[in-house]
Amino acid sequence: MVYISSWDEFAERSIQLFRADPHSTRYVMKYKHSDGKLVLKVTDNRECLKFKTDQAQDAKKMEKLNNIFFTLMVRGPDADIEASGKEQAETQPTKKGRGRKQ
Amino acid sequence: MGFCCFRVTELVLLQPDPFLNELTAMYGRSTENGSVWVTFKRSSMKSKAKRNKLGADALEFRCLVRATDGKKTISTLISAKDQQKFQSSYATVLKAHMHALKKRERKDKKKAAEVNKKEEKAPKKSRSSTKVTA
Repeated sequence: MVYISSWDEFAERSIQLFRADPHSTRYVMKYKHSDGKLVLKVTDNRECLKFKTDQAQDAKKMEKLNNIFFTLMVRGPDADIEASGKEQAETQPTKKGRGRKQ
Repeated sequence: MGFCCFRVTELVLLQPDPFLNELTAMYGRSTENGSVWVTFKRSSMKSKAKRNKLGADALEFRCLVRATDGKKTISTLISAKDQQKFQSSYATVLKAHMHALKKRERKDKKKAAEVNKKEEKAPKKSRSSTKVTA
């Protein structure tokens, strides 16, 4: 399986994959501290999307994706992920649009 | 000798808070070597046969969160009521342990200056935001 290099593509396609088959899609996050590597995987056992990184900034993006998947998996594939994104933006207004902040 | 011996790791189902504690411990144990996997899945915790019998409408789906370090597996179920709390606590646990990732390396001078500026601003902002949340 080839890793997807663009985060936006990975995020978008993984959400699509989940929505297409919510009952067999899983989202896996693997973290190896000794190598400082983070691998994200979304699969429905037919298609597999993977994203690999060693950058701290991607962990922030992952946090957002985590929240999207929590919303989708708890509330169902039709849940409004835009709304949960907004909620987050309201509670943490300073973080919006500042991917570089540590 | 028809049986094959797999080492079956028991899936321990925990409440969300003990799960997070155990996850924290797992991350703590795997700093020198080893990885930690965390999986999210939408699940009704029913077998396929039962799912077909009951029909999709009768099932209650929640988010199953599993974590393993290869030796031990733990899991928890997140319902709509727990979601907000769990997702923020989970994010806190990750933030506390994922510090082996690289902070922006490819800084040319311009970018470095920008980053420094933002970092100067950052503490003030984060303080004000903690005030709001506190």
